[in-house]
Amino acid sequence: MITAERKPLEEIIASVKPFQRILLVGCNECVTVCAAGGRKEVGLLASALQMHFMTEGKTIDIKEITLERQCDPEYVEELNVHMDQADAVLSMACGCGVQEIARRYREKPVFPAVNTKFMGASERQGVWAERCQGCGDCLLGLTGGICPIARCSKRLLNGPCGGSTTGKCEISPEVDCVWQLIWDRLKALGMQDRYEDITPAKNWQTGRGGGPRKIIREDLAE
Amino acid sequence: MSFRKRLSAGEFVVLAEMNTPKGVNISKMVLDSRRIKGRVDAVIIPDMDNGVMKMSALAGGVLMQQQGMEAIIHVYGRDRNSLALQGDLLAAHVLGIQNLIVVHSEDMAVGDHRDAQPVNELDEPGLLAAIRTLQEGNDMAGFELDGRPDFTTGCTLASFKDSELDLAEKKVAAGAGFIVTPPVFDIDTFSTFMEKAQKLNVPVIPTVFLIKSVAIARYIATSEPDANLSEDLIKRIRKASDREMEGIKIAGETVAALRGMAHGVRIQTLGWEHRLGAILDTAGL
Repeated sequence: MITAERKPLEEIIASVKPFQRILLVGCNECVTVCAAGGRKEVGLLASALQMHFMTEGKTIDIKEITLERQCDPEYVEELNVHMDQADAVLSMACGCGVQEIARRYREKPVFPAVNTKFMGASERQGVWAERCQGCGDCLLGLTGGICPIARCSKRLLNGPCGGSTTGKCEISPEVDCVWQLIWDRLKALGMQDRYEDITPAKNWQTGRGGGPRKIIREDLAE
Repeated sequence: MSFRKRLSAGEFVVLAEMNTPKGVNISKMVLDSRRIKGRVDAVIIPDMDNGVMKMSALAGGVLMQQQGMEAIIHVYGRDRNSLALQGDLLAAHVLGIQNLIVVHSEDMAVGDHRDAQPVNELDEPGLLAAIRTLQEGNDMAGFELDGRPDFTTGCTLASFKDSELDLAEKKVAAGAGFIVTPPVFDIDTFSTFMEKAQKLNVPVIPTVFLIKSVAIARYIATSEPDANLSEDLIKRIRKASDREMEGIKIAGETVAALRGMAHGVRIQTLGWEHRLGAILDTAGL
């Protein structure tokens, strides 16, 4: 999933301050799962904003709505009926959702209420960690299903660096050395031979090296 | 007189672009530069122009200075992060490079190392600001430098559009002391641009591009309408008995015409640096 964290309240307040009627839009997908911008967080943020502006002696209208999927034009259409009554939109979706609203409603200012972080997975309750960088050329098949691009601080492709100590990364004892994890996994699978192979310099063009990316499925595209 | 002094004295500066080799054979570069020594005020060394891997501009610049020519080197953000850029800038100063041009870097996707990872940590205004910070005696992290570098720094314009002028204002505010424009093929439209560029309040150095063939002229005319390369100009080259010489004449005439209008000129020959002398001849320089 795409993970996100709510922005500091002060920053959100500063962005919506000039406006009277705010449409606060959450998303039922990833940001709900990582507890950053779902229906519950929309409600909490609306209350926090109301309280703040009340202490300043100002009342603002906040309309709360949570879409099924904010990155999908089909669902964003649901905002049509509310847009006339809004001076600005505050989106709690990831950057994709914010941009979809900006694209659909060109005349309305849109502000993000969350910082989109990374593609990750839940490690345990309340903890999410990066798992994928969308490099466009997946090599998980070679590395025992553990990604050195997303999970090694240096994105090393041929084993750990000298900073790997007792299975941890030199940047922090909290961070696992991904090459330790890969080695352990290859060993468990009996695929240690794979570790001897030299992986050549990666083609970064399939990632951001080739500029903004797009997928066009001829069989589906209209 | 140095490039910086000529620029601040309002003297017309003649700059020639000199490309580094793809490899370590520097004989052509050295020979071509000797041919124009004393005839230009400085040479500009591009750094992996168009994303093509070559010997770095820093080495090329030092090499030119060893030949007794003042060098101006390109710097840009695609290939180096803020540490590498700052380190190279300090190195450049220590090795005697006094002039920089902060340029736009072509996307990795158009170069010859398409697989490479782009950096793009600093954009042009960001890099200009970083250079200013170094000159003030600090690095980008705020740590004090033991000895501060000193540069005359310029920037480029991507086109003659008004939006580029707005961007140029940003770059000047960030520290650019002169501006290099794209190639000029039409003096009249350039003079209109020069009037608009007055507001920037820094010397403007237009580029004169050597048209080597009708095909190149045709390509520029169709792919870059803003360049104002007219059909008449293409016809002139096409009808010439010696097309190569006609291109050189056109370049020389453009240089001569720009003398009264701009603060200098950058002559760009893209691999035909051995013809720079001929262009200077026709320009009467």
